[in-house]
Amino acid sequence: MRKVVISLFAFLASTSFAVAADTGCDAFKWPVAREQALFPAAPAAQSGAALAVGQAVDFSLEAVDTVSFEVPPERAPAAGTFGATANVTVPPQGELQLSLSDEAWIDVVQDGKSTMIKIMTGIHQPTSGVLEIGGRPALVNGPQAARAAGLAAMYQEPMVFPDLDVAENIFISSTREGWLQNRGKLRRKARELIERIGMHVDVDRVASGLTLAEQQAVEIARSLSQDVRVLIMDEPTASLSAHEAAQLRAVAANLARQGVAVVYISHRLEEVFEIAHRVTVIRDGRHISTRPIAEVTSQSMIAEMVGRDVSNYFEKAPSHATSEVVLSVRDFGREGVFEDISFDLRRGEIMCMAGLIGARRTDVGLAIFGIAPATSGTMTYKGAPISVTKAAQAIDLGIAYVSEDRRKLGLAMSMSIRSNISLATLAQYLSPAGMLDRKRERETAEAYRKRLNIRTPDVELAVGLLSGGNQQKVMLAKWLNLRPDLLIFDEPTRGIDVGAKAEVHDLIREFVAKGGAALVISSDLPEVLALGDRILVMREGRQMAIVDNAGATQHGIIALATGQSGMRMAG
Amino acid sequence: MSIRNGFGRFRIQGWELFLLTALVVIMATNSALSPDYLRVSNQINLLQLSIEKVIVALVMTFVIINGEIDLSVGSMMGLAACSFGWLFQSGVPASLAIVIVLFIGVAGGAFNALFVTRFGLPSLVVTLATLIGYRGLARVLVEDRGISGFPEWFNALGQQGLVGPVPFALIAFAILFAISWVILHRTGFGRKTYVIGTNRSVADFAGIDTARHKAMLFIASGTISAFAGLLYTARVGAVRGDIAFGFELDIITIVLLGGVSIFGGAGTLVGTLLSILIVLNLRNGMALMNITGHIQTGVIGVLLIASVLAPRIDIARLFGRRAPLKEDVS
Repeated sequence: MRKVVISLFAFLASTSFAVAADTGCDAFKWPVAREQALFPAAPAAQSGAALAVGQAVDFSLEAVDTVSFEVPPERAPAAGTFGATANVTVPPQGELQLSLSDEAWIDVVQDGKSTMIKIMTGIHQPTSGVLEIGGRPALVNGPQAARAAGLAAMYQEPMVFPDLDVAENIFISSTREGWLQNRGKLRRKARELIERIGMHVDVDRVASGLTLAEQQAVEIARSLSQDVRVLIMDEPTASLSAHEAAQLRAVAANLARQGVAVVYISHRLEEVFEIAHRVTVIRDGRHISTRPIAEVTSQSMIAEMVGRDVSNYFEKAPSHATSEVVLSVRDFGREGVFEDISFDLRRGEIMCMAGLIGARRTDVGLAIFGIAPATSGTMTYKGAPISVTKAAQAIDLGIAYVSEDRRKLGLAMSMSIRSNISLATLAQYLSPAGMLDRKRERETAEAYRKRLNIRTPDVELAVGLLSGGNQQKVMLAKWLNLRPDLLIFDEPTRGIDVGAKAEVHDLIREFVAKGGAALVISSDLPEVLALGDRILVMREGRQMAIVDNAGATQHGIIALATGQSGMRMAG
Repeated sequence: MSIRNGFGRFRIQGWELFLLTALVVIMATNSALSPDYLRVSNQINLLQLSIEKVIVALVMTFVIINGEIDLSVGSMMGLAACSFGWLFQSGVPASLAIVIVLFIGVAGGAFNALFVTRFGLPSLVVTLATLIGYRGLARVLVEDRGISGFPEWFNALGQQGLVGPVPFALIAFAILFAISWVILHRTGFGRKTYVIGTNRSVADFAGIDTARHKAMLFIASGTISAFAGLLYTARVGAVRGDIAFGFELDIITIVLLGGVSIFGGAGTLVGTLLSILIVLNLRNGMALMNITGHIQTGVIGVLLIASVLAPRIDIARLFGRRAPLKEDVS
């Protein structure tokens, strides 16, 4: 079975070990029964023990987990072992046999990460191995139990109630205050919590006006109010702007300093080096390595995540650009959204659109695709002037749009992989009477499963059960099946792991090498530099410049995107 | 459970298996309790008594899977019946009146569609308004009178067997069911119905004309409702302003009990069919046991709650019905 990369970077605050020591145990740990061979038990246990005793205050964090799954090739036996050790990898001390439910098993096939979070937050139960908290086996059999044990998870999309203010949001599930809440006291406590995490948010503000990062801070404060001991952050910065992401990382580091163990899951390597103390790599639902950050280089980490040497991952591949212009856009604009966009896109070329969040890059893509048509300017496609006001027109012309939001715009999550792949090209599978040729649909789906290496036991499975990277591939398959001349990719690798990222990059390169033209909207600067033959930089709805890859640097692009040269940007 | 047959892979899903089991249990109980139950005349009778609602339930299955709802079907049936009575009384030949009434159905559906697709209003609100509006029109047309005395051939269509003891409406239902099944489960139109119901934006981005699709379904719903209203008129032989009053609730109940998700995107026509048979046999069995109509209604209500509850409790796991995957895993 080929590999899907699951990476998990983690760090744990030392004080949490002190807490653990107080309760007479060394750590928060999940011994694993069946997969002991995977864990270098002795040294890890030692390091954990050392930490538990001494360094209560300083910032020496330890990392977390070990996950292992045995993934059966077919769906039949709902088997799968799960275990994770936080801090210390120990030989199995006891085995708790629990059955993993059917749904969970499907996650296991595709993604170790989701399942691990679900087990740690009590949504699923491990089939083997024990979750130990503070040295005692704990049965975390539901979200309440997880909360009581001090485990909390935070996702990319924070859960806030838009109409309540910050203080009310923080104490939303608090029962300690009783029915009649003392609003003044509530506010004071909320302010303390917000200060503790090092953010500056007015507790009287209504949540709907907060930025994403501030909303996440509210969620963190909420877990703090419930005495969280282990906070799992699942790609918290994936949809944040660089500035917000930096803020959130500071919050995470701050929390760790105060004794909360933070498991920080990220696909962005820069972040990992900025904040992690130990790094754990998981691939194919298996624990690959756990090392102190000092022993890790980005090369070694990527190699472990991908399972092969990817030394040229961030290097620009040679351009395939020809002189034939596929799409020519002149003075393109949509009233009040963007204006004066002009560029030529040639066959075999990858053009990247860079810019900050809110630079209106997506709107340009949507205008070309006809979802939100342009109100001024002209488009010439393969030599003929066109005006596209509906997606169906764009599709007929061979223009495809891989949207950034898989969940809301990209895939019908509860429907099968097969019917998602044929979705944009349904007409190809219809007889004159409108009957669907499901056999041919299936053949197509199977062909793409092989070609794009979509990891699934069956193309009849609901696409929502796949991991993010595999969902992205299904979405690509849907549009590649159109055999488009122009593919617009909107954040093609957001929220997917490095291995899948590399595969998506290869697919984009393969697409242009075969004569396609690609317009790639991306906020990931290394990606922009690795992919783009030319880079169009936008700022606040305006085109700032088109730069050649040869002359482009991250700093130069940031300067153009922010409109100030020399400004430093994190992430 | 997965069975291979001539159609390729034909799946009986968990919920349908549950409904099938329930149906068998109900039929066995009924036949044990009443010797009359299994007689052909009783079987035809039990189907015929609700045949109009059952026909509309077929289209309603499409509408709900598509993520919408049409509350105006009962009123549309009433409007169709009353228009027919009024036209007939005004001297229009019955055959021509039938054609006109069917067009009224098309127009009524198109009116709903206009507000839902063009103005983007929720179908719940639009069709609630037309539920009141169409009923009002029906009452205006016939006022407080009852109209009867339709031609012999028209009444015979509803009251007598067409092929042996099987009446026209039952044959029409069988044909409509077959057509609907093929459309929903084997054509591009059916696929689009599911996709739009699952996630309309995804359908928009795939170039599917979602507004047109929804409009077609509302028009079909109006037309079939008018057709069902005519069948009802023929069976009863008379019209009044309150004819087919409240039918929409029975129709929606049947569809939801059949496992169609009120949130759209999930459900099958086999589920609807099984649900129809369960409701009718249950009512018939209770009637044969002299249980009153009110209690019958109560039992159906309990059944509906059970069907909504089922995906959330362990019965569901037992029969393998998966809760609709609204929030996927990342």
